[in-house]
Amino acid sequence: MEGPPSDETLLVGVAERDMGAFRALYERHAGWLALRLARRCNDRDLVADAVQDTFVAVWQKPRGFRGDGDIAAWLWGIAIRRLVSRLRQRTDVAVVFESTGIMPAVEDQVLLSVEYGDIGAALVRLSPEMRAVIQAVVLDGLSAKEAAQLLHVPVNTVKTRLYRAKAQLRTTLAEGLA
Amino acid sequence: MTGWHVDDETLRHYVERTDSVAEGASVERHLLNCAQCRARVNTAATAVDLAVVDLAAVWDGTRDAVEVPRPSVFERLLRALGLPAHEAQLVAVASAFRGVWLVGVAAVLAFAAGAAVIGHARGLWFFLAVAPLAPCLVVAFSYDRRWDPALEPETVTPYPTLRLILLRTVAVLAVALPAVLLLGLVVPGAAPFAWLLPAVGFVALVLAASTWASPLNAAIAVSAAWLMTVWLLAARAASPSAVLQPWTQVAFLVLAAASFGTFLVRRRHVRQLRPWR
Repeated sequence: MEGPPSDETLLVGVAERDMGAFRALYERHAGWLALRLARRCNDRDLVADAVQDTFVAVWQKPRGFRGDGDIAAWLWGIAIRRLVSRLRQRTDVAVVFESTGIMPAVEDQVLLSVEYGDIGAALVRLSPEMRAVIQAVVLDGLSAKEAAQLLHVPVNTVKTRLYRAKAQLRTTLAEGLA
Repeated sequence: MTGWHVDDETLRHYVERTDSVAEGASVERHLLNCAQCRARVNTAATAVDLAVVDLAAVWDGTRDAVEVPRPSVFERLLRALGLPAHEAQLVAVASAFRGVWLVGVAAVLAFAAGAAVIGHARGLWFFLAVAPLAPCLVVAFSYDRRWDPALEPETVTPYPTLRLILLRTVAVLAVALPAVLLLGLVVPGAAPFAWLLPAVGFVALVLAASTWASPLNAAIAVSAAWLMTVWLLAARAASPSAVLQPWTQVAFLVLAAASFGTFLVRRRHVRQLRPWR
């Protein structure tokens, strides 16, 4: 078979201590991971550290990928948690959730069209704090505890904001239908 | 796969972070499942003018981090025991812990123990001659630069020499003693434990003598003297148990205490012996 090796092939190479495969995996994923992390944290150094931590973790435990789902999703799971862990050591860094919101897993086209629909409008009407919680928990798949560490707020605050945000979304959507 | 992909305009907004709440969310959702669009975002994000971080520098850091050898089992054990990382490293690099050297010492001791088991009286003499010398020779070798390339940077590094010497000695003994003790268990009689105090005494003596001469020369002198004593006693057909008498043990204890005292008093002189030739 011609063409570039798949992520799975590269990961097998990493497990066999192949630096070339590791490099290829890095070049394929580091860019978008850094970009996505930077949308959640405005400290470039921390983002760089988190990306490095992510790939060091991949090198140390390439068999952590259990073969379920996409390797990209696995990498993102590691990266966002590395960022949380880095943020925990630093309390002076502000977390930003720039212009991103929440979407359930539906068809991509539907998701994009939501921009002009009710959910998009409902999201915009949420306060930034609530949107941040919604994004961390729903979109990034973090636990309430991890979201609390990311946002530097108590766990109970995360739970409260999540509850209120969902309630507000529900109300806004119901109003739209009426 | 839906055959649908992020259009160029949306992708550009995403990379430049000029997108809206819902747009960003749907792009990110799509990226996790679509290698094709991920590659496009990755390429755009790697472009010099848009890169959020210096990815080449991060790669260098990552490569350096994974190429650092993992600390040895012994070093990790020392750290677990509460020794700071740099000290654990100093102790662990001692050549006395390198495989070949340990195997050599173990082989000699195994031979001595075997001899003691087979030919009773003469074998026991042999064991008593060799076993107490093993720890002090191991300690002496761990300070000889010909055997330990790590010693040079260590002695040049500003670091309390006394602390380093004691740390290394304790670490060497911690490795050497259990090994010798284990072999001593197969030797009949009280001999298994009788050599312990002589061994400690010799180590202290070598440390004390190292304030005058090189530890290796001191160890060789001590070994020669001990072997001579054992040979003389054996030639007079004395029983090996003579060495095991309580008063000889007390004598070795006194020797250890006196030597260690001398070492502490003269510890400043260790420094001038830095080349230890």
